[in-house]
Amino acid sequence: MSTSARSRTVHIGPDGLHARSREELVLDVLFDDRRIWSLWLHRDGEDEPDGEGTFVAWPKGMKRFLDGVARVSVVVHETGEVLYDEEHRFGDGEGRVEVVDRDGNPLATDKTGRLVKTFATRSAEHVAPLLDAVEEVLDALRRAGIDAFVAYGTLLGAIREGQLIGHDSDADLGYVSEHSEPVDVMRESFRLQARLAEMGYVTQRYSGAAFKVVVTEADGSARGLDVFGGFLRDGHLYLMGEIRAPFQREWIFPLGTATLEGREVPVPADPDRLLVATYGPSWRTPDPAYKFETPASTHRRLNGWFRGIRPQRPLWDGFYARAPEPASWEPSDLARDAFAAHGTDATYVDLGCGHGADARWLAEQGATVWGLDHVPKAFAGTAASLPEGSTAHFAALNLHELRSVLSTGALLARQPGPKVLLGRHLVDAVDRPGRRNLYRLCDMLLRDGGELWLEYVCRRGRDRLARRLRVKVRQPARIEAELAGAGATVTGREVLLASTPVGGKAVEVPSRICRMVATWR
Amino acid sequence: MAVKDSLGKSARTVGEKVAATTVVDLRRRVKRLEDEVQECRALNLRLAELTDLVTELLLPVAQRDEAKVAELLERYQKSL
Repeated sequence: MSTSARSRTVHIGPDGLHARSREELVLDVLFDDRRIWSLWLHRDGEDEPDGEGTFVAWPKGMKRFLDGVARVSVVVHETGEVLYDEEHRFGDGEGRVEVVDRDGNPLATDKTGRLVKTFATRSAEHVAPLLDAVEEVLDALRRAGIDAFVAYGTLLGAIREGQLIGHDSDADLGYVSEHSEPVDVMRESFRLQARLAEMGYVTQRYSGAAFKVVVTEADGSARGLDVFGGFLRDGHLYLMGEIRAPFQREWIFPLGTATLEGREVPVPADPDRLLVATYGPSWRTPDPAYKFETPASTHRRLNGWFRGIRPQRPLWDGFYARAPEPASWEPSDLARDAFAAHGTDATYVDLGCGHGADARWLAEQGATVWGLDHVPKAFAGTAASLPEGSTAHFAALNLHELRSVLSTGALLARQPGPKVLLGRHLVDAVDRPGRRNLYRLCDMLLRDGGELWLEYVCRRGRDRLARRLRVKVRQPARIEAELAGAGATVTGREVLLASTPVGGKAVEVPSRICRMVATWR
Repeated sequence: MAVKDSLGKSARTVGEKVAATTVVDLRRRVKRLEDEVQECRALNLRLAELTDLVTELLLPVAQRDEAKVAELLERYQKSL
């Protein structure tokens, strides 16, 4: 055995990969000859307790597939040296391990370590819709006065290989604004997004200067195309979401072209400069496990200027992806009691409506109701199944985006009659900036009457309620002080025992829920 | 604490104690300044949002075009 092979032993275990190597290695893990996972041994791993080597856990989401047999190969990415190549049995399963999604599409980790459908397993026919979308969005941006180019992994693929990178899973576009003030760069990005929405694209904003265009592919799956805004300021290029580097305008403009999957795409005048700023001077060496290491000072700047409009969104996206249906369609006590107090005279607004069970029930009682939630996917099923002529309406509301709060407030303020706003586990789910915008919205909707009805966890019990609901415990005195500070008067306050059973059994020490009613007159 | 630890038991003289206090104080001030810089940066986003909203909605309001206001509001809210 050579010294090199001896010093690079690899074992596969139920929890991950154990390896020993003095030098850092980028490893590809293949199941039955297909790349599943790429990793940096030292960067991604932790020292074994006995000090003999490194352990790297299977990526998140991988373990559920690990039941059965696979020929597992571990290969040094750069040299192709095979460190491990054996049939391995995971668990008690008899069949082959298949890392595929619900529709049977092969999955592998992308650069962020998530299991996704990557380009490596996709045919020309499959990448064509994405490339079509790249061209279409580039054209749309051009018509809006913006000369965009392919950026990040897509630029890297075009320049280095002339094709989409096998381990990549999306396409990225970037542009450098003529503006140099962040406020102007964001306004421009808002207008661009609005133009694309007008053209019929589904978009989702990430930050003040970046958004995603959702493209539906031939197989019906949705794939994101990110549009990152950038600008030049004080001799530096800033490009969402990771770059701040000394830069000159002539390294971007006039744009050049490169070939990507046989199509001509725009690239910066000097793509090497942008790739160095993105991936470092070693960008020509493929590294499927590359992770951005953004300097803290760059993070601070980009966060301060542009970010903060979607805290916790990934958490709730994940929550509703796992729970497309509510546990029960029964209305909450809050909805029942508010309806008992106000009947059909009021227009109800369920803030943070989730699946929309309360909104649906209120409409069934004959009330006009608006269900609002940050995650449109949460109420999409309910909204689509409403009977014709239903008095329930659903819309997106992001309490961390002032534009969303103000325009929603204006839209609903035009509805006739007093409003009753329901916020069930809302103030315990959103942070202080989100609550400030909530109170602003209430102020807009309740000036001429109506009430805000809140329920939130105010004392932790043994039922783990706050944890299950993904909320924090809030002190009633604090919420009351916030409301008073926002111009509200608290007219009702009571503390209730949480009635949610755990596994059908009564809990010895249930959590406590505070119900609070406030007006803004 | 870090300052005290790094100086160890030798931090005894008045001059050294003053120096240590000054460093701790400066760290606190730098942290405060950093927080305040972030607050100032965040105003860019608020200003951009407000300007965008006002730009889009003020004109039909000024023109007293009620139907257009209603249509614009709905379209704007949906486009976010």
